[in-house]
Amino acid sequence: MGEVAIDKDGKIMRRVIDMRSDTVTKPTEAMRAAMANAEVDDDVLGNDPTALRLETEMARIMGKEAALFVPSGTMGNLISILVHCDVRGSEIILGDKSHIHVYENGGIATIGGVHPRTLRNNKDGTMDLDSIEAAIRDPKGDLYYPLTKLICLENSHANTGGRCLSVEYTDRVGELAKKHDLKLHIDGARIFNAATALGVPVDRLVQAADSVSVCLSKGLGAPVGTVIVGSKSFIAKAKIMRKTLGGGMRQIGVLCAAALVALQDNVKNLETDHKNTKLLAEGLNKIEGLTVDITSVETNIIYVNVCKDSSNTATKLGKSLVEHGILVMPENTFRFRVVIHHQITTSDVLYTVSCLQQAITGVLSEHVA
Amino acid sequence: MRRVIDMRSDTVTKPTDTMRTAMANAEVDDDVLGNDPTALRLETEMARIMGKEAALFVPSGTMGNLISVLVHCDIRGSEVILGDNSHIHIYENGGISTLGGVHPKTVKNNEDGTMDLDSIEAAIRDPKGALVYPITRLICLENSHGNTGGRCLSVEYIDRVGDLAKKHGLKLHIDGARIFNAATALGVPVDRLVQAADSVSVCLSKGLGAPVGTVIVGSMSFITKAKILRKTLGGGMRQVGVICAAALVAVKENVKKLEDDHKNAKLLAVGLNNIQGLHVDIAAVETNIDLLFRGVILLYKVYVKICKDSSTNAAKLCKKLEEHGILVMQENDYNIFPYNYVKHLKTKVLQDEDRDPPSNNNKGCGIYSVMHSESCYWCIERACCVSP
Repeated sequence: MGEVAIDKDGKIMRRVIDMRSDTVTKPTEAMRAAMANAEVDDDVLGNDPTALRLETEMARIMGKEAALFVPSGTMGNLISILVHCDVRGSEIILGDKSHIHVYENGGIATIGGVHPRTLRNNKDGTMDLDSIEAAIRDPKGDLYYPLTKLICLENSHANTGGRCLSVEYTDRVGELAKKHDLKLHIDGARIFNAATALGVPVDRLVQAADSVSVCLSKGLGAPVGTVIVGSKSFIAKAKIMRKTLGGGMRQIGVLCAAALVALQDNVKNLETDHKNTKLLAEGLNKIEGLTVDITSVETNIIYVNVCKDSSNTATKLGKSLVEHGILVMPENTFRFRVVIHHQITTSDVLYTVSCLQQAITGVLSEHVA
Repeated sequence: MRRVIDMRSDTVTKPTDTMRTAMANAEVDDDVLGNDPTALRLETEMARIMGKEAALFVPSGTMGNLISVLVHCDIRGSEVILGDNSHIHIYENGGISTLGGVHPKTVKNNEDGTMDLDSIEAAIRDPKGALVYPITRLICLENSHGNTGGRCLSVEYIDRVGDLAKKHGLKLHIDGARIFNAATALGVPVDRLVQAADSVSVCLSKGLGAPVGTVIVGSMSFITKAKILRKTLGGGMRQVGVICAAALVAVKENVKKLEDDHKNAKLLAVGLNNIQGLHVDIAAVETNIDLLFRGVILLYKVYVKICKDSSTNAAKLCKKLEEHGILVMQENDYNIFPYNYVKHLKTKVLQDEDRDPPSNNNKGCGIYSVMHSESCYWCIERACCVSP
């Protein structure tokens, strides 16, 4: 059952099971205490000490020289691309289903003047190596061609269902980049999920990359922020780009303190999230009228397909779930997405399965805890 | 540990205890997927205070101005008229152009922060020249004006620029990073002061003392577009209520304290100007001219010039001050400027040596003086010439 509580006015409040995204995670008590006590200073005029501590720690964890705290993943990617592509007429190679290409307002082009060259993302989040190589512009054609400067990967890959790119694949793309004198950027918003699922140290996973954008406000649960990591010279330029975009914040240690707690406390919880995700995926797949590609569930994201011959739609199901206090993200008429994070419990998962079962067949399932 | 008196800028303000409590207890939610309730509360309050339809919280003043300019100038080939000494033109990395593709047309900033109305009008591009001209879309003012020393633009001046803008079908944006300082100094309600503007960028992390953030205000349709641009630039933060809670405290508690800051600035200016070897344009500090549209009143930013024939210079002076825990901002070889923000400094008991001023026994040189006001103790040390 969804837990109930009484709020300060004596009204019964049902717990909301928010699985629209892992960005919805609210700060924990430990984070709130850290934020209240954070040592701060003006991070633009000098260094905010807590931001410095976070950036130093992130650089170390990711095995890169330096790091920079930014307000969002969108800015993390935008800065990275604009720094790697600081010459007019640049082009980048990225997946046609990548977050950068689909969900970042085309900012790299509209704001940054960078041209995107998209390649088909396979079901597993990769792009074929041959296709990548073929997409690199021949410098001999520079009278007509933009100049390829950068390849972007996304790990874990969101739109294909939180799929993980392996170390081997990442290394091979890295070699390809080096061979053609290109840089490699990884949109690692959920890189810790990937590293956990693959059982690989995160620094080894991103070794081939020149820069990585790592989100702290998703599964790790911090209220705000992303950290980009890279070489010292890359980060020096990134800092200026951040200011130009308007991301230069002052006593930022408040938010960085929460991010430090997220790093310390919540990376180890990701494995539980993945277990809960598998549990949910299997439970939903058993419901007649719904299908989930179980083999593609590797981390904390599930795409649920609604069978077209039933009278159900993703919107209808989404609405009936809301009545039970469960929030999911409808993608289109016959598909919705569910994302698990550390504030979703196993009993929430079981409750969700039973509610969906009820919604579809009107029958209480035996899964009720 | 000696207390540090940081007067490099009013951005150095650290969160107060009330703010820290508010941040720890803030009600939050995902501000991108929906609305963070505390952000919503701050934005509603700011819109109300500024007399505009809607508001949007953004990470910085730079982003506030960038978004505003880009939303008003969303058609390729746009031009914006702004002061040659404005913050947008000098200190924002030229972002409106390098990122936004907007062309700047600068007009000379007078010593009082204004631009001559005739010059503004002359700078507006004639649409008949559209084959060769960009199209003027926007005029930007800055109030108070940073680089001229925190000078305040009067209501009358702003209204007249607003009329000019309307006459030519242009928008008016005010970089109001320190608009509350201006309103306080002018004795004018802030919403009246910005009435003529289509948009205003208001900083909460400066004199008002919040740790982070600026709020832009404008019409509903303007703010709707601003929200998308904010996301595009990467300013879409999630549980942002944490910092909005502190900003709400700043707005509620610290606007009324600005008057003290201005008094302290005057005090500082007079004191420094009395030191041989230093010069402060007291007339600019004390001026309380209530002119029609050149009414420029007071500043809380004190520009100090070091006389060139003194044996010290700004760099040496700054270093010496630092040894005493006083931080100021060196402008160039012969100028420094200490901000007086004194907002949240708790009255602390100074060391005895700070409290008992040594005697002024060095002719032609600096003075030890200790002055205090309700909210701050500071000392100015013998700083300039040492007898050769």
